[in-house]
Amino acid sequence: MATGADQAVGFGLLGFSLSLFTYYTIWVIVLPFVDSDHVIHSYFLPREYSVILPGVAALILLLFVGTFIGVVTWKNRKPKKVD
Amino acid sequence: MMLLGISRHQSGFFNYNFALHLCTVFSTMTKLLEWLLGASLIGMAWGLVTFDLLDLQLPPQYRELVWPMPVYLLVVFGCYSLATVGYRVATFNDCEDAAKELQAQIKEAKEDLKKKGLKM
Repeated sequence: MATGADQAVGFGLLGFSLSLFTYYTIWVIVLPFVDSDHVIHSYFLPREYSVILPGVAALILLLFVGTFIGVVTWKNRKPKKVD
Repeated sequence: MMLLGISRHQSGFFNYNFALHLCTVFSTMTKLLEWLLGASLIGMAWGLVTFDLLDLQLPPQYRELVWPMPVYLLVVFGCYSLATVGYRVATFNDCEDAAKELQAQIKEAKEDLKKKGLKM
């Protein structure tokens, strides 16, 4: 078994993704069938945000990936010959 | 067919050729085509329900449920990928004794080669 930091990071990722999955599933699938005056609705944003927030997150991720590729390409450019 | 600037005789040939090509395509369907077909069918079903193109008059809760579905499926797929990676990192089979032995062997090899004249 992996030890120390590896285990912490691994189980941390696992826990994060499970909680994200649960919250998002309740938001998208369970809430439409719950009465609109139930208290649980106060823990969730309006429904439009369930599409907008992942969209914004995806854009930010793309931005990071693009910036990373750009920086690495820029650092590895050689003066005349690019091998 | 007049709009395409071809005669009726030519358009008949096109239809026959297209049908024959389609038959060949279906008998030797690649995985890509299978997935594209499945995805487009599901996409059409989603579009029909979300934009109410057939006037099915489904109950409002079901319509509320269906329209975020593409984003929901993407998020679920992302969560599943993250969970799989996290779990496999946490349960990776480390072999600490083998690692130490390997480091010792590398050190030994470096010293041996230095003695024989190799510049590191």
